[in-house]
Amino acid sequence: MMFNIYIKRSNFKCTKIEMNTLQFILNNSGLITEYTLNHLSLVLIVLALSIGLWTCVGLIISRYDRLAGTVIGLSSVLFCIPSISLFGMFMTVPGLGLGRKTAIVVLVIYAMMPLVRSVYLGIKNVDSTVVEAGRGMGMSGWQTLCRIKIPLAWPTVFAGVRVSVVLITGIATMATFIGEKNLGRLIHQGITRGSAEMIIAGALIVSVIALLLDYIMGRVEKKVVSPGLRYQSGR
Amino acid sequence: MIILDQISKNFPGANRPAVDRMSLRVNQGNICVFVGPSGCGKTTILRMVNRLEEPDSGRISIDGKDIQDVNPDHLRRSIGYVIQQIGLLPHRTIEQNVSLVPELLGWSREKTRQRVMDLLTMVGLEPDEVSLKYPHQLSGGQMQRVGVARAMAADPPIMLMDEPFGAVDPIVRIRLQDEFLRLQQQFKKTICFVTHDINEAIKMGDYLVIMNQGRLVQTGTPIDVLTSPADKFVLDLLGDDRGVKILDLTRSETLMEPVNESDGFMHNGCRIQAIQPVKIALEIMMQKNADQVGVYRGDELVGMLAWNSIKEHISRISGGVRS
Repeated sequence: MMFNIYIKRSNFKCTKIEMNTLQFILNNSGLITEYTLNHLSLVLIVLALSIGLWTCVGLIISRYDRLAGTVIGLSSVLFCIPSISLFGMFMTVPGLGLGRKTAIVVLVIYAMMPLVRSVYLGIKNVDSTVVEAGRGMGMSGWQTLCRIKIPLAWPTVFAGVRVSVVLITGIATMATFIGEKNLGRLIHQGITRGSAEMIIAGALIVSVIALLLDYIMGRVEKKVVSPGLRYQSGR
Repeated sequence: MIILDQISKNFPGANRPAVDRMSLRVNQGNICVFVGPSGCGKTTILRMVNRLEEPDSGRISIDGKDIQDVNPDHLRRSIGYVIQQIGLLPHRTIEQNVSLVPELLGWSREKTRQRVMDLLTMVGLEPDEVSLKYPHQLSGGQMQRVGVARAMAADPPIMLMDEPFGAVDPIVRIRLQDEFLRLQQQFKKTICFVTHDINEAIKMGDYLVIMNQGRLVQTGTPIDVLTSPADKFVLDLLGDDRGVKILDLTRSETLMEPVNESDGFMHNGCRIQAIQPVKIALEIMMQKNADQVGVYRGDELVGMLAWNSIKEHISRISGGVRS
């Protein structure tokens, strides 16, 4: 039923089925801009929250190995739940309901697996002799974390962040079913109407956002990761 | 001065103690070498001195002060630490690596920088060339030098060195050993040095501590240990060329027959300095096919060293295990 409502309310000017995608985007630029900005803002909010939250969790479990198995196992299980059902489940939680809050919570959960895992592995895979040398020189536990472990974990952490950026941007399209007005709506309506242009336009813009964010992350990574570590991924 | 008093250490799951009631004194300005097979507890002892491990019983004191009373981080900043894997921070430049401890101690930037440059020169590196490089851009020998420079950065009176020259090829190792001994002549640090290589131990040590299975087997100067090994284990450790090793540690003057040039004594032209080891005298005799060499102190002939007296000396002292 919900789907029909969308079609009735639709204000796309879509007269000719063969109209090319570019034409479609130009004709509906206002709406598409709105959807794109909504999409982007959702992704950025989720990204900021998940990096903050999951980095902390990753750091904590790298210190308490007993927790690590449980937390990483949990993240994998959550990751395996189909996104549409997860959106549906959280929608019923009091205080979340239809809309952005649920979208944010669900997407943050999806970002858990790549982020927690990469932070944990990044820290755990730091060469123990380097940490040992740091301790032997008189660095405190906190100093070895900040000055050795984290800088050396950056490349792995960034790999996780870049995966989750692409992931969140893609899954965010599904949030359209709980009322987010984003590019997912374009794709969904394209499917119900059998409009290839709409589907392609939606998918194209989603991909561009994903690639753009990934590119920015790549630039940030170059700035943050020490040149001394770059040899590991080929000089 | 470092004093170990009845130190024991058990690791969980091991069937014997890693270190078993060890007592030991390391004198000021000495290189004390811990030598023994893998797993004999030598590294554990080193790590207990800077509290990377805590002993189960016994106490360790440095200059009369129990190290349990010192904050472990502060303790470690006052002790130089060199390990075989070097452990340079790969994400930091050589300059930043060497300035690690001064940074922790809160030295000013100029003072640290000056110190780093001096140290790099001291360990035989070109500061302008290496200071901005990252560890992966250096050779193994260069990295090891940086490791030593880093340990000496804050001029600690005590240094702990765990197989510091173990990861480099034999030629570089010998050069690093020689250079390190030269530095030691100048700085007179108190050094605990761990190695499994008996030759390195004899070369570097003022004092040897021979260990097996967590226990102290024999201590003494290299020449003491060589001339009177305590048991079969030490004998095996020293190897089959014990006599030759002794010749390397014996000064020519100790075996020579004193002579007076005014006696009109003539000799065959082979000469050696009194403080040079007998091994060198032997080498000269073999090269020149001679039976004796003249021992000189400066330009003055003080004695003759004969092939026979070397032979007798060796057969006398390497007769076997001391009873």
